[in-house]
Formats: sequence, C-alpha cells, structure tokens
Amino acid sequence: MAPAPAAASPAPPDLGIVVEHVARSFGAAKAVRDVSIAVRPGEVTALVGPNGSGKTTLLLMLASLLAPEAGSIRVAGIDPVADPRAVRALIGWMPDTLGSWPNLTVRETLRLTARLYGMPRERARSRATELIELVELTELADRPTRVLSRGQKQRLSLARCLVHDPRVLLLDEPASGLDPGARVRLRQLLRGFAAEGRTVLVSSHVLSELEEMADTAVYLDAGVSVSAERLAAARSSARPWRITALDPAAVAPALAAAGVPAEAVSLDGSSSVVALEGGDAAAARLLAALVGAGLPVVAFAPAVGELEHTFLDLSGGAS
Amino acid sequence: MSFFGGLWTIASIELRQRVRGVAWYVLLGVFVLLVLIVTAVALVALSWQDDPGGALYSTVIYFVLLLASLTAPALSGNAINGDRDAGTLATTQITLVSTTQLVLGKWLAAWISSLAFLVAAVPFILFSFALGGVHGATVLGSLGVLLAELAVVSAVGVGLSGLLRRPLFSVVVTYLVVALLSIGTLIAFGLGGLAIRSTQTYESYSVDWEQYPGEVEYDPATGLPVGAECTLVDSGEYEIPRPDLFWPVLSANPYVVMADATATNYDRNGNPVDIFGYIKVGIRSLQIPPELHSVWNECDPAQTDYPTGEETVERTAPSWFVGLAIHLVLGAALLAGAIATTRTPARRLAPGSRIA
Repeated sequence: MAPAPAAASPAPPDLGIVVEHVARSFGAAKAVRDVSIAVRPGEVTALVGPNGSGKTTLLLMLASLLAPEAGSIRVAGIDPVADPRAVRALIGWMPDTLGSWPNLTVRETLRLTARLYGMPRERARSRATELIELVELTELADRPTRVLSRGQKQRLSLARCLVHDPRVLLLDEPASGLDPGARVRLRQLLRGFAAEGRTVLVSSHVLSELEEMADTAVYLDAGVSVSAERLAAARSSARPWRITALDPAAVAPALAAAGVPAEAVSLDGSSSVVALEGGDAAAARLLAALVGAGLPVVAFAPAVGELEHTFLDLSGGAS
Repeated sequence: MSFFGGLWTIASIELRQRVRGVAWYVLLGVFVLLVLIVTAVALVALSWQDDPGGALYSTVIYFVLLLASLTAPALSGNAINGDRDAGTLATTQITLVSTTQLVLGKWLAAWISSLAFLVAAVPFILFSFALGGVHGATVLGSLGVLLAELAVVSAVGVGLSGLLRRPLFSVVVTYLVVALLSIGTLIAFGLGGLAIRSTQTYESYSVDWEQYPGEVEYDPATGLPVGAECTLVDSGEYEIPRPDLFWPVLSANPYVVMADATATNYDRNGNPVDIFGYIKVGIRSLQIPPELHSVWNECDPAQTDYPTGEETVERTAPSWFVGLAIHLVLGAALLAGAIATTRTPARRLAPGSRIA
C-alpha cells in the first residue's frame, strides 16, 4: 500500500515522475514549451488540457520515444534519454492511436509482446491468457485483431501496455471508445493500480470520467504547465451550481431573498443555474439559506465537475 | 532476452503478418505457373542439347532472381514506415527490443519471404537435375549469389523504409534502386561504350587472283595457290565503340554477378553449357580491347582463329566479387541508416512525421 505523500512535497524519487522545464518542438511548431510537473506514485493523476496543448508529446517524452530539446525528465529517478531501456522495463504506455498487427490474433499479439519484453515462452503464454481475461476479450482471443471494434482495440491496447506488469502507467486517452461498463472497469483497474503504489498518469478529454478516477490533476495549456497560483485562481473563480426544487417557480424568489443577484441566475430546463463566487463555502451557505427559507431543494450540485471547471476557465471558455 | 531471440521475435511477427495474407499465396501461384511455362518453352528450345539440365537450371534460377527482385521491394519497402503509419512501430519500440534488433528482424523476415520463390521453384530445379548436366559447383555458386542478392534487395527495401517517411515513396525508390542495378547498368554501359569511340585503321591483304589464271596448284591447307602472295587491296578507318572501357559498369549488375561468380562447364568445342556461362563469356569478352590497327591477311590463316568461350574466360579477369561487394555495402549502409533514424528517444523527426 502506498504511503500517503505530504501534499506540498515534491514527488519521492522511487516511482514518481518529475518533469522540469521540458520543451520540444516539431519544426516551427512548439508542441511543448515549458512543462514542469510532478506525478506521485500511489495516485491517479489526470493530465488535462485542450487539444494541441502538448499532452501526447509530453507522454511520448515520458515514454522514452521522444527526446526533449530542453529540460529534464526523471521516471522513477531514471532519465529516459540516457537509459531508455531501464525506463521501458518500468513503464506501460498506451498510445492514443490504436495500432495493432492486423493479421495476428489477440492472443498472439499479447504473447509476442511479452516475448519482446524478454519473457520466457511459457510465461508469455500464461501472461497473455491472464490479460485476455483481465480486459474481457476471451471470446475474441483467437480472432485476428483487424476484426476488433474500436472499444475492443482500446482494451487490447490497455492489455498490451500491462504485459510486463509496469510500475508506472502512461495512458493517452484510455477511455475513448469504451462503453460505460468498460469505463467503470477501467476506473476500478486504475484505482487498483494506484492503491498498489503504482504511478498512474492519464490524459483524457472525458473530464467527467477523469473526475471520478483521478486523485489529482496537472494542467497543460499551449505547451506550458499551469502554475499552482493560476490553478488556485481558476478554481476559486465563479462556478456554476445547479439547483433543482420540487417547485421550479419558487427557486428564483428564494435566490433573490438569499441575496443572489438576478443576473447570476439562468434557467436550464426545470432547474436553475447559479454562478457562485467564493467556492464551496459560499455554496454551503447558499444551500443552508435556501433550505432554511423553506425551498424544497431536490438537487444542489456543481453544474460542471472540478476538472472541467478548471479546464474551461484555463482555456478561456465559459466561466 | 538474447540479441537473436529478440530479432527472431520481430521476424516471426513480420512473417505471421505476411503469411496470412491471401495475396501472398496468389503471387506464389502465379510464379509457379510462370516457371512452368518457362520450363516448357525452355525444354522445346533446348531440345538440340545433349544435357539440357544445365541450361534449364540456369533459366529457372535467373527467373527466381527476376521475380524475387521484382516483388521483394513491395514486400520490404514499407516495413518500417508502414508500421509507423499503422501505429504499430512505437508500441514495438516501447518494449525491450533494441532498434538494431527491430530493423534487422524486419530485414530477416523480408529476406525469408523473398526466398519463398526459391522454395516454390524447387520442383523445377529438381527436374533440371534429373535431366543431367547440372554440376555441383554451378549449383553452389548460383544459389550463394541468389541468396546474397535477395538479402541485398531486402536490405535496400527495409533500409529505405526507415530512411524515407512515406511507404509509397520508399517502395518506389527501392524499385528504382533495383532497376538502376539491373537495367541502369546496361544502359550506362551501352551509352558509355557508344559515346567513347576510337578510330580503328584497317588493312586487308588478299591474293591477286588475276596473277593466277588457269590451272594452278593449290595448297590443301590454305586453299590458296602454292606460293601465292597477298597484296594490300584495301585500307581505311572506322569509328568503333569501346566496350572495354565501360565493362566495369556491368559488374554491378546482379545478373552479371551471378553469371560471373558461377563455375562454368564447357562442351567439347569450348562453348559454355548453360546461360550463366554464355553471359559470362559475353561479359568477359568485353574486357578485351579491340585492335586499333587491324590487319586481315588472306595468306595468314592463323589470324582468322577466334578464341573459344573457354579461352576468353581464361584470358580475362573475374569481377563478380567487386559487384557483390558494392551490393553488400549498399544494403548494409541503408540498414545502418535506417537503424540510426529509427532510434528512440528520437531527437530529429522528418518534417510531417509522427513518432506514433
């Protein structure tokens, strides 16, 4: 079980990831300009940012496939540029592209991948069977991978990155294409890995999904990691709360009585959305006031999740 | 994981990918059909020979070389950049195989699959043995060169697929390299030999028959009158091509390498018994410089005696090892280049390319 690290301390060197001032460009395009992040073991860390913010490029550098032009990377204390082989033995990387050998079966794909990790023949065979059961591809195990659907390929890709039981997981959009049931199982799987003390870094656009899965998040914007101050500012900015009452018509007067200005309230179907400044404390006070005033409140919740709110605020979208 | 263990795992993934394609078997079927036709036609054409086995064997081997070098670029020319496009290169590079194992494993797989043509031709080769006249040294030499040349074509294809970004482009460039060696050398030789010409002066001496009217006594050895004297009847100048200056170009031709490297057997008259031998004699005779002052004398019968094929080969120098060395260096250099550009963590990427 992972020891809970102190929130403010940098990642311990054992299995965490430390990235300092990393930059990488492709020709004239600066994909990653200045990224400094720390990812702790024992947690699921979300990597959040809009399209083109450099998430995939950063993961490629962490996965020892791309060399940074500036800055330093340590994965479990090892520099992936200086010793890529040592890093590869530790990490499992799931790319955002779903490539598979089309004429090989699911079982062969996993067995031969295990062989590429140097596993003995028998162990590779049994490991393939374990992983097929883990990602629930048993019925398709002996079919060529070209017949798999997108979600099934996604599960194969996950199984492939777990072949050598990696201590550090780098997952690029693992949930895209998965059905709700598979998403729940992915979440349980990743939570389980974190509980075993592994390092899990997940990038995704499905922010509500990440919300439930991740303990913490790092944000990228235009190739730059977002500083703690900017994050704090974004988090405390006005955040929409959704209020539903048994009597929708009674909500607006009750809000006015509680001192909420009318321009901060909008109607969304049968519920009202209120932009509230002052974070969770202000929300708790408002709820107490509404209930105290006798409003029959059915639901009182953030209209968007924490990650999504921060993401939208950082990317300059709706606030 | 041993070096060769990882290399072989890569090769077996490649081979499994390929062997399961239907197109592959269609291609081999067409090949067998073509060799069957060639064998039948060759048997009719060679019916005058005592032991047609040698000629048939060399025909089949040349055909294997032709077909394999025509298909190997398509099979190997997208080995690396095709995987990158399919998204399976990076997931292989993230494992513990080295880039050297990856590239050499793909090369090994491309080589083995080009050898499928040789395997498909085995019945025809055995048939040529049964006809008689195939010599062990010929088989060893020609098979050795065939294996080496197919290894080179596979290396060129895999190498270029690592060096160039687009699969279509690298396949085409691989074809161009094969064409450059197979046809380009012939064109360069032909053009060069024609462009550089020398002036040949000639003198013809002949018997003046008007001095020997009526009954004369003939020398049975020469067919000329006894005591006949030849006088100058014609002289002049010609522009003649100089193939002897350009024959080294041909030594880079794979078909020439095969002919020149293979031990030749000759018949009673000193003529070669198979196609390898004919091409070898033809190539070697190009080495002999033309006489820039040519004298033809009817009274000197020794001059009209041309060397036999066997004599030509004995008088001239073999060049196959030079051509083969050029090919091997080319293939090895392209493979080394592919290893260097495919290595990860990648520092430089070709414009527009993705790592994954």
